[in-house]
Amino acid sequence: MSAPTQDPLTLSLSVNGETHEVRVPARKLLSDVLRDDIGLTGTHVGCEHGVCGACTILIDGRPARACLTFAVQMEGHEVTTIEAVGRPDTLSALQQALHEEHGLQCGFCTPGIVVTFEHYLRENTNPTAEDVRDVLSGNLCRCTGYQNIVVAVLKAAARMRGELA
Amino acid sequence: MKPAPFTYHRPASLAEALTLLLRHGPAAKPLAGGQSLGPMLNMRLARPAHLVDLNDLIELDSLRVTEDTLEVGALTRHHRLANAPEVQRSLPLLGAAAASIGHYTIRQRGTIGGSLAHADPAAQLPLIAVTLGATLVISGPDGSREIAAADFLQSIMTVDLRDGELITAVRFPLPVGDLWAYEAFSRRHGDFALVSVALSFSRDAEGKIVALRLGLGGVDTVPLRLPEIEARGQGRLADENTIRDLAIATATAIAPEDSEQVPAVYRRELAETLVVRAFKAAVNREEGA
Amino acid sequence: MSDGFTEIGRALPRKEDRRLVTGRGRYLDDLASPGALHVSFVRSPHAHARILEIDSAEAAEMPGVVGVFTGRDLDHMTTRLRLAPPIEGLQPTELTTLPINKVRFHGDPVACVVATDRYLAEDAAECVTVEYEQLRAVTSIAEAFAPDAALVDDSLSSNLVSHQTLSVGDPAARRAEAHRVVEARFALHRHTHVPLETRGCLADWDDGRAHLNMHIGNQVPHPLRSQLASRLGLSESQVTVMSPDVGGAFGQKIALYREELTVAALSRHLCRPVRWREDRMENLMSAAHAREYECRTRTSVSETGRILGLELEIDEDFGGYCFYPANYMARVIALIMTGPYRIQDYAYEVRVALTNKCGAGPMRAPMAITSWVMEGTIDAIARDLELDPVEVRRVNALGPEDLPYKMPTGEILEDVTPRETLEMAVAAIDVAAFRERQTQARSEGRYLGLGLCTVIESTTYGSEFYKSAGIPGSGHESAWVRIEPSGVVNASVGLMGTGQGYESPLSQAVAEGLGVRSEDVTVHMGNTDIAPYGMGSRGGRGATAGGGTLYLCALKARERVLAIAASMLDLNDAGGLRMRAGQIERMIGDDWQKVGLALTDVARRAYLDPLVLPEGIPPGLDFSQSYDPPAMTYSNSTHACEVEVDLQTGAISIDRYLVAEDSGTILNPIVVSGQQQGAIAMGLSGALLEQVVYDSSGQNLSATLADYLVASPNELPEFEILHHHTPNRRTPAGIKGMAEGGVMGAIGVIANAVSDALAPRGVTIKRLPLTPQSIRALLREAAPSSMKRTQS
Repeated sequence: MSAPTQDPLTLSLSVNGETHEVRVPARKLLSDVLRDDIGLTGTHVGCEHGVCGACTILIDGRPARACLTFAVQMEGHEVTTIEAVGRPDTLSALQQALHEEHGLQCGFCTPGIVVTFEHYLRENTNPTAEDVRDVLSGNLCRCTGYQNIVVAVLKAAARMRGELA
Repeated sequence: MKPAPFTYHRPASLAEALTLLLRHGPAAKPLAGGQSLGPMLNMRLARPAHLVDLNDLIELDSLRVTEDTLEVGALTRHHRLANAPEVQRSLPLLGAAAASIGHYTIRQRGTIGGSLAHADPAAQLPLIAVTLGATLVISGPDGSREIAAADFLQSIMTVDLRDGELITAVRFPLPVGDLWAYEAFSRRHGDFALVSVALSFSRDAEGKIVALRLGLGGVDTVPLRLPEIEARGQGRLADENTIRDLAIATATAIAPEDSEQVPAVYRRELAETLVVRAFKAAVNREEGA
Repeated sequence: MSDGFTEIGRALPRKEDRRLVTGRGRYLDDLASPGALHVSFVRSPHAHARILEIDSAEAAEMPGVVGVFTGRDLDHMTTRLRLAPPIEGLQPTELTTLPINKVRFHGDPVACVVATDRYLAEDAAECVTVEYEQLRAVTSIAEAFAPDAALVDDSLSSNLVSHQTLSVGDPAARRAEAHRVVEARFALHRHTHVPLETRGCLADWDDGRAHLNMHIGNQVPHPLRSQLASRLGLSESQVTVMSPDVGGAFGQKIALYREELTVAALSRHLCRPVRWREDRMENLMSAAHAREYECRTRTSVSETGRILGLELEIDEDFGGYCFYPANYMARVIALIMTGPYRIQDYAYEVRVALTNKCGAGPMRAPMAITSWVMEGTIDAIARDLELDPVEVRRVNALGPEDLPYKMPTGEILEDVTPRETLEMAVAAIDVAAFRERQTQARSEGRYLGLGLCTVIESTTYGSEFYKSAGIPGSGHESAWVRIEPSGVVNASVGLMGTGQGYESPLSQAVAEGLGVRSEDVTVHMGNTDIAPYGMGSRGGRGATAGGGTLYLCALKARERVLAIAASMLDLNDAGGLRMRAGQIERMIGDDWQKVGLALTDVARRAYLDPLVLPEGIPPGLDFSQSYDPPAMTYSNSTHACEVEVDLQTGAISIDRYLVAEDSGTILNPIVVSGQQQGAIAMGLSGALLEQVVYDSSGQNLSATLADYLVASPNELPEFEILHHHTPNRRTPAGIKGMAEGGVMGAIGVIANAVSDALAPRGVTIKRLPLTPQSIRALLREAAPSSMKRTQS
């Protein structure tokens, strides 16, 4: 049985459309590499066992837990984080709706929720409240009781369909 | 909660993956969706010296329907299984079970091969595979072999997979009964079920049950298909009496683990209730359609 | 509700949101600190064991490891925590920074590995070997009080760490003359806070200045700084506490924990920045737990259900260590138990047990069990006497004519409206129509239930309360307001938000007092070098203590601004002047009219042309203020909830949930509704799903989020909120505070609703959580008696 190598690897990662070269060991979690090595701290680490959803990012456009992914796996794939979604002065429709409907409090779970629904609302443009609650069940929020998040997602969906100003 | 060190391998082909797995033997662990292995690595409950990433083997992300088989490639993600029209047409029970796995984000990554190899006794896909008599295609150093899902799953997280072997596909025999239901009870949405029931059958011209398949998850160290209950139900009308009789017989037939958290008697009660609900859901779906 | 406010009460969306929704918030782990060392704690696998030897030789040689430190090492770098407030019946306790001789719970930290990287620190922590001699573990209140119990704290003579009694009036005499004496029991299980951001800190010792910069998400930066300085043997001038954005706290981020003190001491010892991020398993096992109580009530009642006397016993499982005085939570429960009801003959006995579990601390609504006990007692009276539970509430509820009401424990209730919120909730849920549906459903074999729960929420504790309770400390708060030369307004207060969204409501309090727009006010919190020394955020004191102090401070600033404005307008005094949205206005005839003078003009004069200021007015516009709220302020509410219980599985679904609330003057309705929803959600999640589980040997079985179940959106209902806000006449702007009552109401109302649903089956809920397996167990146990009932 051979021992594992600890030596760092040089990885070329495409994150939010930019290429980053990092030197990290194979075992380093994508969540940690995004935060420590690339400086994108919007991806939050809440449990490191795939339950809370705070670290949700997109891999090739589809949501995934960054804490259950090794950065080394991402060579050749496109990673998208919350930082690519909107900026404080140019919120996405979903971010704007979360702001208006008080769909966040401490904000720690919020990036994971935004990233999940930025994808989901493209797959299902006209979800019901029940659909939203089902998808949202993968993102724990300890502050809000979820009600305002559901309202915000439905509002954003309506706006994205052009049905609401 | 950071994983122990490992050497990472990213084979570009199945052959290369098999070679790596053989070379490193028990020190190697294949990595598919990582939704179950990931937490175990982070908690250091699993600490393989070599991790063999299968995600480039995209040829294993496949669905193929023939007259008598739905073949699902091992790397097929739950989200695809839950939404693919060919699954919904040929084996809606499988699609419904896949749609109930974990959460939306988990389903984007998790794979059928991973779920079977992980062998959680409460998981959806092992239950469906056992209930419907699926066959696993396993590739290894000596070529490929096939094994019934029920034989493959040996105990909690214990399967018949030798060094250097990989699941490459799961074959579900077709056709199955046109009535079906997947019923699961968990304390929280998206969690592993305390008990789950998979049911499939047809009704003949007289309305009698034929081709009955009944499986239960969460009541033993592996998902159980219950042939004696199936035999008991064959040829009877799917009425209140039959359903109740089969449900009670099911609850008697199983011997779930007893714990302070979830007593065996409670799992038995759930099994009985869920069997009734499964039959009713199956019948109502047909009659509603 | 006080009219005439223009800024207070505005539905102003939160100022924090833009950075938080875009991932630009800066939480503790987002702070860069080049070269910082990382720690990982070695934790006890046993609930109770002597530490015989710690061997760190192998770990110390591993890659990246800077050092391994034990309790003995830390004992040289820090002082011990001695808690000995002069409270009768409370045993003094003392603990070292890390355990030296023995561990007291599964997860107790025994050593700290410092390395260049968290991964390497964890590798080395695995290689620290600790030799233990296992001791018998005490894992329940009954075991703790058993005559031959093992001692959790070897310095005490028993595990009874706190014992207090009180008797007011003559409850025994009331019992003798009562129509009936109703007994009821309530057992609440162990919870934990689960902030989405776990604990952690970044300690950065500046050796040249001999100064510690402590970055830590904490609710009470100044008291924390005092603690930290004292435990490190430093002065408060040598420590700066900086709290960045915080991902939730719920009471878990008040105390100075042993891990944080260890990290600070090691930064100083190593002269390097050192950081710790608690992982989730540590958080669930070792941070702080809460709420584990067993209560019994004995109520003497008249034929109409009028309560003549109440006797209460509370036992609390406090865990292995006292990070707070052991009577801290339980006695407040006893003090406010009678809540919304007229009760004068009252006795309590409060016993607190040490056990081999994680130490307990306050968790959002530390007195959460209160409302369940009182309202469950009311329902028990109704059941026993076969009375309508709504009527029993009416017969006993405090009405306007009873106020101010001196509770038997001496606390004064005034400006509360429990009878009004009860009637609002009863009307809104339409009890009569529900009873019809319930009867119909039962005939179909479906079990619906309705619960009610009226809450008196103690929100703000003034110094008077602390003094009378014998607890060292103060309830005051401090603020400053500074109008800058450009006319923008900065302000600060000793609170520290941990997600509530203080920035908008507190800026509204300042804006209202001063007469500017909230958008032009920035409130700075969390840095002890910037903020004034305040008592921080705990309970529901943010609005009353924090908002109230800022409002008073802003009023002081306004007075000065108007005085300067008057002189600029050549007026004798400021009598006919006011400021709105930063513009000076003058009463001309019956109208307020702008006079072409703005705050910017006044500010420019105050700072840049001070020689022309009126006599006696100093240059600048810098104000400070402190304020001590009344002994206790209260909000109140009535929760009503409809459930359906699935008899086959034991599952509970919530069909409707509403709350009628009186939270006084509302600074910002958006934030208040969010707090109400979040608090109810936390209460329901706790009552239905969450439970810290220890087995009989003291092993923690709930150390992951797959085992400690926090509600997902699918387990929670939509919340309907009805408003009946009335001001508190003794606080600035009539503010009452809120944010914990939702937890209290939710726990009580769901338990009462399920008891109501299962009444025909002879089941009463006496123990939480309401897991489906526990409901099934109750139904199985009750089956024989319910059959008897059917036969009779």
